[in-house]
Amino acid sequence: MVLVLLGFHLAGVGMVLALGRRLGIRPLLALGGTAPAISAVWAVVQLIAGSSDRTSMVTWVGGLDLELRFKVDSLALLMTLLVSGIGALVFIYAIGYFNRDTTGGSRFSASLLGFSASMVGLVWADSVWTLFIFWELTSVTSFLLVGHKNQDPSVLAAARRALMITGAGGLILLAGLLVLAQQANTTIISELPAIGGTSGTIAAILVLVGAATKSAQVPFHVWLPGAMAAPTPVSAYLHSATMVKAGVLLLAVTGPAFANVEAFTTLGLAFGLTSMLWGAVGALRQGDAKLILAWGTISQLGLMVTLLALGTGKAVFAAISLLFAHALFKAALFLIVGEVDVRTGTRQIDQLGGLASSMPLSFAAAALAGLSMAGAPPLLGFTAKEAALESLATLDGVQQIVVSVGVGAGSVLTVAYTLRFVFGVFGPGPPTVVAPRRWLMTIPALTLASLGFVGYLVLGWVNDIVRPAAVELNAAADYSLLRWPGLTAPFGASLGILAVGTALGFGVIRRNVGTPEPKGARTADALLDGVLVAASRATGRIQHGSLPVYLTVMAATASLAALPFFTGLDTSGLVLANQPLEMVLAAAILVSATAGAFVGSRLGAALTLGAVGTGVSGLFVLYGAPDLALTQLLVETIVVVGFVIGLGHLAQQFPAASGGWRLTRLAVSVLGGLSVTAALAAAAANSVGQAPLADLKAGAVDEGGGNNIVNVILTDMRALDTLGEVVVLATVALGILALANVRPPEVPG
Amino acid sequence: MIASSSPIVRLGIRAASPPAVMVGVYLLFAGHNQPGGGFAAGLVFGAVVALRTVAGLQRPSRAHELMAIGILIIASVALLPIIWGDALLDQHVVSVDIPLLGKIKTGSALPFDLGVTAVVVGLLLAVLDGLGAPELAEEPATLRPRSLR
Repeated sequence: MVLVLLGFHLAGVGMVLALGRRLGIRPLLALGGTAPAISAVWAVVQLIAGSSDRTSMVTWVGGLDLELRFKVDSLALLMTLLVSGIGALVFIYAIGYFNRDTTGGSRFSASLLGFSASMVGLVWADSVWTLFIFWELTSVTSFLLVGHKNQDPSVLAAARRALMITGAGGLILLAGLLVLAQQANTTIISELPAIGGTSGTIAAILVLVGAATKSAQVPFHVWLPGAMAAPTPVSAYLHSATMVKAGVLLLAVTGPAFANVEAFTTLGLAFGLTSMLWGAVGALRQGDAKLILAWGTISQLGLMVTLLALGTGKAVFAAISLLFAHALFKAALFLIVGEVDVRTGTRQIDQLGGLASSMPLSFAAAALAGLSMAGAPPLLGFTAKEAALESLATLDGVQQIVVSVGVGAGSVLTVAYTLRFVFGVFGPGPPTVVAPRRWLMTIPALTLASLGFVGYLVLGWVNDIVRPAAVELNAAADYSLLRWPGLTAPFGASLGILAVGTALGFGVIRRNVGTPEPKGARTADALLDGVLVAASRATGRIQHGSLPVYLTVMAATASLAALPFFTGLDTSGLVLANQPLEMVLAAAILVSATAGAFVGSRLGAALTLGAVGTGVSGLFVLYGAPDLALTQLLVETIVVVGFVIGLGHLAQQFPAASGGWRLTRLAVSVLGGLSVTAALAAAAANSVGQAPLADLKAGAVDEGGGNNIVNVILTDMRALDTLGEVVVLATVALGILALANVRPPEVPG
Repeated sequence: MIASSSPIVRLGIRAASPPAVMVGVYLLFAGHNQPGGGFAAGLVFGAVVALRTVAGLQRPSRAHELMAIGILIIASVALLPIIWGDALLDQHVVSVDIPLLGKIKTGSALPFDLGVTAVVVGLLLAVLDGLGAPELAEEPATLRPRSLR
């Protein structure tokens, strides 16, 4: 079923692209939203039926554990519900967001659906390789979506920044997964054992850094605010509800494997707490409502990373609850910002005023989602925040103090930026002209925002979704979200946080309404530019285009690589010749080669080289290798013809070489000759066993149905190699044709 | 170009082409039991093509198509067994009794070799085109190196 659902997504992408020219953006979005809708309904049915885990897999290379392996467990179902459910709502919302005549509809719709497919693949993945492939696919589709308005250079810079940071993180993650799989001796995520030792620490650090780039943790967060250049449906979907959660999800599923690794907790807490605080401070400094939310997302992701780094049962349970609640309220808030943007033409909080009365439904939705974000009852965000605070009570020592202070301060700031957002956008201010309502935008936002309240009412159902998912990760996570926790310490802390946060929030609603200089983004861009400049300089230095220099370097490298053979040289077994005729051929080869080195004309050099090759093929004949001799002879013939044709373009004589260059070439030639001689002699003297001639012969006749062993090897026994070689040949040929068609740049003057 | 003005070379290459092609065909079919095979056959055809190019004679000119056909044949030979549930590149041997000729044994190795031949010839055509050989053959005397005329 999993594969069928993925197939629906891919078919959707194909149809959207195929119909892209004929339909406008709105039908295309409706078409694109079908697959996520089906997937979401399937997830709901599975959750209601309470069905057990199911695994699907497609083996690619069995021996290497390379397979597309999917497993739908409780956590995957929860994530599917979020990814596909919010996805379907975002598609509906986008129909309202874009004007009827917007161009680029098929690109946008196909990328968004492609992202949706990558994301469900990611949450279903049960092999580290499958996970990695879909992880990278989300980066690529995200790049396409962030860069959607591809006429604007600042948008393109933001898209590049996001791709470079998440892409580099992907490579680091790959390294981490390699170490992890090697150490755990399995690639199946659900069967990862707890690992330890130095390699466990290395794997934990690499995986954490990979997750931190994706989940926008400080200092890799700089791409997320820039990614707000994307159309708002994209921001709501990718940069709040789903893609940025991929890192959190990764930490959740690999967390059990790193349970004994201290660095996982330490570094995870460092990432999480810094991001939680810095993200919240960032949110208070922004004047653009969308950027407030983006920085808030960094902060919330930091809290989730913190909880997962702690890794206790309660913390994991709280992290999963928070993941669920955050997806609902943050997506809703983004959708509301998009509607405000479309209907008023601005997102700057100092230019918005009176929207509470002119956009009442949006205001209601924003209030519900905002209260959930601040962690106020009676909403889902409150219960999740309670669970988080409660999990801190089980800690001890310095860790408890540090984490409690960090989370407490972060939560206070969260309440503050929530107030700043809600009152900044909907509070008093210069009256703003508001365009007519677009229901398709209002309804999805209202739905998501009210789900936070509905979830609080039917908290038992939410528990049935969240608890199994958390228990899967940590058997000790068998807790419940509480509608009313009673007069406990965490509840007191909650009230305190709300009170202090409210006081702080009212103080900063109208402060810092400009958009601060994005210094982090600048630094990241400068770094990326520096890498590109250094790369192009290095390329210019190394690839200068002189063929003789290339050849000399290659020959010298190959000769040096053959140096180790000198140690294996055993001269006692060497004979001058097995047959007298060999000496005649060898003499002919030597004479031709020497002549080739001294001849002045290019044509003469080509001919002497041909003579050398022909002599070598004579040696093959003497040793009973007719196939080899035939091929060698033919190749020599064609090479000489090719030389003759090529020489038509060149001067007849070789150019005169300067003394130093001549000496260099001489040295490399002598070294090359010596190395090849030594390597061949050493190889002959140190044979490592008999060739399995009898087996090959029998195999050739029985299986290959031919008597020419060489040919049967080429076409049957090792036919896969031949297949590869043929593809290489064709690629080389295409390369030659392409190079030949490149005209040298015109030199001015 | 280089040789197109010499009637001896032109005539020689023209006369040598048909036997050379026959040798190539022989190598292609004999390859399974005797020295030869798809690569050698491709090189012989390639040599013919190269020589005809040098002499400015007619010759095939579709490098891309030949390579595409070759890879298509090889990929089909590789993938078809999978459809029948066998392993990738599984070899099928067929032997047929034909009157007069006797028992003929062949297999999927033959189309495989044929594909290799096509790719090799395509590669050589591409190299010749890349070197600008056809243009050289048509160009007037000005471009030709004097001594090679």
